[in-house]
Amino acid sequence: MTLDWGVLWDHRDQFLHGVLVTIELTVITMALAMPFGLVLAFMRLSRLRVIRGLTTAFVELFRSTPLLLQVYWAFYVLPSLLDVQFSALTTALIGLVCNVGSFNSETFRAGILSIRVGQTNAALALGMGRWDAMRHIILPQALRRVLPALATTWISLFKDTSLVSTIAVGDLSYEALQVRSETYRILEVLTGMAAIYWLLGYPQAKLVDLIHRRWRTVE
Amino acid sequence: MDFAPILLRWRFLADALWMTLLITGLSMLFGSLIGVVVAIGRTYGGRVLNATLSLYVDTMRAVPLLAILVWTYFAFPIAVGWTLSPVVAAVIGLSVHLGAYMAETIRAGLTSVRQGQMRAALALGMSRAAAVRTIILPQALIRMLPPIGSLLVFAIKDSAIASVIAVPELIRQSQVLAGVTYRSFEVYTLTMGIYFLLCYPVARGVDALYRRVAYLGAS
Repeated sequence: MTLDWGVLWDHRDQFLHGVLVTIELTVITMALAMPFGLVLAFMRLSRLRVIRGLTTAFVELFRSTPLLLQVYWAFYVLPSLLDVQFSALTTALIGLVCNVGSFNSETFRAGILSIRVGQTNAALALGMGRWDAMRHIILPQALRRVLPALATTWISLFKDTSLVSTIAVGDLSYEALQVRSETYRILEVLTGMAAIYWLLGYPQAKLVDLIHRRWRTVE
Repeated sequence: MDFAPILLRWRFLADALWMTLLITGLSMLFGSLIGVVVAIGRTYGGRVLNATLSLYVDTMRAVPLLAILVWTYFAFPIAVGWTLSPVVAAVIGLSVHLGAYMAETIRAGLTSVRQGQMRAALALGMSRAAAVRTIILPQALIRMLPPIGSLLVFAIKDSAIASVIAVPELIRQSQVLAGVTYRSFEVYTLTMGIYFLLCYPVARGVDALYRRVAYLGAS
């Protein structure tokens, strides 16, 4: 068996493009899934039972089914259901944001509920409204507390973006699998793909550990 | 909406569900074995072993499961000159990935048992191995129940990615069924329902079980 690692360098443009799309998907998804998750968390803490019930159903559905299936559903079913055509990238983002947003909502909800009731009571006693108490007193403390959990979700998201390659979004996996079928250099290309993911993901995993150590909750 | 063509082929879906359960079960089994060995090695094995094993764990946290499965099925056989069936490759890839997460969970459980427990066991004349086996591990296992429950849910969901290497599990067979019947909406919605019915009760069941046995892990 002769190995030809040059194939990786020859197709550097494709790999680079894939890396950029992977990073782009991760950043955009998280940027959208944070506010979305916060809104879902507020809705689950709502005093109206209907809103609470519907939000719980949405969150639990997305947490209890595989992301790959959600992406397929958004790709094959959603367009015919809504009678609109999305690009593959938009479809991927819809699937990822719903999924990550659901996980984020649980993180935010846990963070908000972890702040002692006395904090809200004190704010109300000072004459603040419920919303002001939430915005100025509870949320700033809660957000600090959930940072480690969000960091863990971030790295899962980075890995999960690889799944959108199945609906032909040109991320790193997709580009690498394309290069593989063009060149038949299976071992080199797939090892290269894993190595690039490692180079990108390993420092992130270490950073997550650091965040967990620095922002550990101490009551 | 017409579910009849799919329900007619229920046996096909039942086989797919069985395959999903099989690869989930096997990867859970081997993943736990890897997890226990790696966790004990990292906790009690000294510095060099800890550094080596943490490289393995962080690599699995950094590289997407898709990349690991594709590499195990397509690239690994070329490197060693064997042939692997998709199912075997999937179980290897899923176990090696899950094993790293298991190891972290088990390690957190082991280190959560107070140091005094180990000292007391040593003072009673037990060997370190016996102390870990009969004193530390039983308490740690109870405490690990909730995170292991969520890992089980993740294992079920992650098995879906094996569809990428043509393992005939639920997602793969749903694609086949959608191709044969032209009923994407019904097929993918039904599959979503099956996954939900698999994952949601597991998550709730483990929580309920933990509430009943939590006192056994307290010391």
